[in-house]
Amino acid sequence: MEPIISAAGLTKTYRVFQKRKGVAGALRGLVKREYKEVRAVDGISFNIEPGELVAFLGPNGAGKTTTLKMLSGLIYPNAGSARVLGYVPWERDDAFRRRFALVMGQKNQLWWDLPASDSFELHREIYGIPSDQFKRTLGDLTELLNVEKLTRQAVRELSLGERMKMELIAALLHQPQVLLLDEPTIGLDVVAQVAIQKCLREYHQQRGVTMLLTSHYMRDVEALCNRVIVINHGKLVYDGGLAGLSERFGRMKLVKIEFASGSVPDDIERFGEVAHRDGPGVELRVDPARIGEILGAILERYPVADISVTDPPLEQVITRVFQESEPAKS
Amino acid sequence: MILAPLKRYARLLGSLARYTLAREMSFRGNFLVKVSVEVIWLGIMLAFYRTVFAKTNAIAGWNEPEYLFFVGCYFALNGLIETLFLENCNDFAEMVRSGDLDFLLLKPIDEQFLITCRKFDWATVPNVLMGVGLMIISLIQMHWQFDLMRLLAFCVFFVCGLILAYSFMLVLTSLSVWLVRNQNLMEMWWLFSSLARYPKEIFNQSWAEPLGRLFTYVIPILLVVNVPARVMVKSLDPWMIGFMFLATAVAFILSRMFFMRALRSYRSASS
Repeated sequence: MEPIISAAGLTKTYRVFQKRKGVAGALRGLVKREYKEVRAVDGISFNIEPGELVAFLGPNGAGKTTTLKMLSGLIYPNAGSARVLGYVPWERDDAFRRRFALVMGQKNQLWWDLPASDSFELHREIYGIPSDQFKRTLGDLTELLNVEKLTRQAVRELSLGERMKMELIAALLHQPQVLLLDEPTIGLDVVAQVAIQKCLREYHQQRGVTMLLTSHYMRDVEALCNRVIVINHGKLVYDGGLAGLSERFGRMKLVKIEFASGSVPDDIERFGEVAHRDGPGVELRVDPARIGEILGAILERYPVADISVTDPPLEQVITRVFQESEPAKS
Repeated sequence: MILAPLKRYARLLGSLARYTLAREMSFRGNFLVKVSVEVIWLGIMLAFYRTVFAKTNAIAGWNEPEYLFFVGCYFALNGLIETLFLENCNDFAEMVRSGDLDFLLLKPIDEQFLITCRKFDWATVPNVLMGVGLMIISLIQMHWQFDLMRLLAFCVFFVCGLILAYSFMLVLTSLSVWLVRNQNLMEMWWLFSSLARYPKEIFNQSWAEPLGRLFTYVIPILLVVNVPARVMVKSLDPWMIGFMFLATAVAFILSRMFFMRALRSYRSASS
């Protein structure tokens, strides 16, 4: 099957004006400007198959949003090519724009002073959605997100979580086949986050929409995605399964021990790297190959109240990925 | 074939006007202040012209009712520009700066249409009505003989003037993409609309002549009100008619190309 999203060598560089210090510097800047070339995205290639749900991860400034904006056709790349739904996104063909949507957690597209329902109605007209289909989709979505009662309220009077739900509805009204999400849960409380995750998951199950999502919340990623693409400094550093990410970068197991003596023995560091220490409890990072040996040694030596072995949380794994993909500083 | 999208855009324009009316109504105070300012402004202009015409029969070859018609035409045309486009063009710079332009570019609809016609500024509709009223009063004063052909010609050239003025505004608007902060847009536009406000005969004096030529042939802003007003209450060289059509078409096409080029350079501020 033809990939629904494909990027090949996608590159975007920005020329950023370097402001000099002080008034004298500002005056000199009027005559001669200094620019710095910033490579926001540097030769990224990947393919996404129809119906996939992919997380796009990276630290701040890694180039995630820039990539999403190129795939949406908002900005033009300096090099490389991309195809989404068979179209070159930055040509902004109407047929392409009718079949995809972008949700940005930090920007809103709804009219601030009007009820969300007015914005939805305007959407219907711009996208030319047939009336009965519009009513049905809107009904389904407001029910799914539990916001039936809020659509008549001015958007500026909604809470952040409610507003985000409305944004999501606006993005889904025309039933896009590709959905790009940039930090859709940013700043939301856990309840609202879970509601958005649930909506996305159900929507994906029902309609098989292809989704590419960036998020700093690993909960979003774990709840939704099987596949992860990690970029750092504009370069792709990992593309594969979520489990594979832990295997490749996590490698370590996390051993949590609570000692019956009420305090952690001083020589605990012999057994593994201490990740966290708290009263009688300690978390050790241990090589999976040595788990049996280390557990045996600890149990034999100290009275233990509780012990467990887990995979490190995704947050820790991802931090490790980011750290390891940092270019060596000379 | 062409009619279907035209109908769609006309319907959309209607919906946009409706939604902005709903929005405007929630800020009634603002609406009243704006209308009062415009009424006073028109009053000052009329009082001034009355004073001048008390001393003379004609300004630059335009007698009092003719001049009144010119002022009315300017008011209506400028009012329409403000109602349909000014606020949108003014918002554009801010949308470039904040990155809010993103969502407008994602919609399956012509970018220029959505960006420049998005909001309907109802507070300036009274200007249009005042302009139309002034034109009617002046026609009565000059005992204008009804002439359908003239009226139709006036309507055609009025629309040409509107398109011409819109094209200039679009070029100024497009600059925001590179300038990012574009507070000068309003001032530039004020200069343009000031140029359009007077009969082009005022540039017939020696030192002003190059200016008059510049703003007639190179940047033809002087045509915007002069041509429709002359067609209605004076006579017009046939070649001027041809030139008006040409200038309108060229300005519209070039300004659109320039705008599309500007969108290519849009950087979409980070989220």
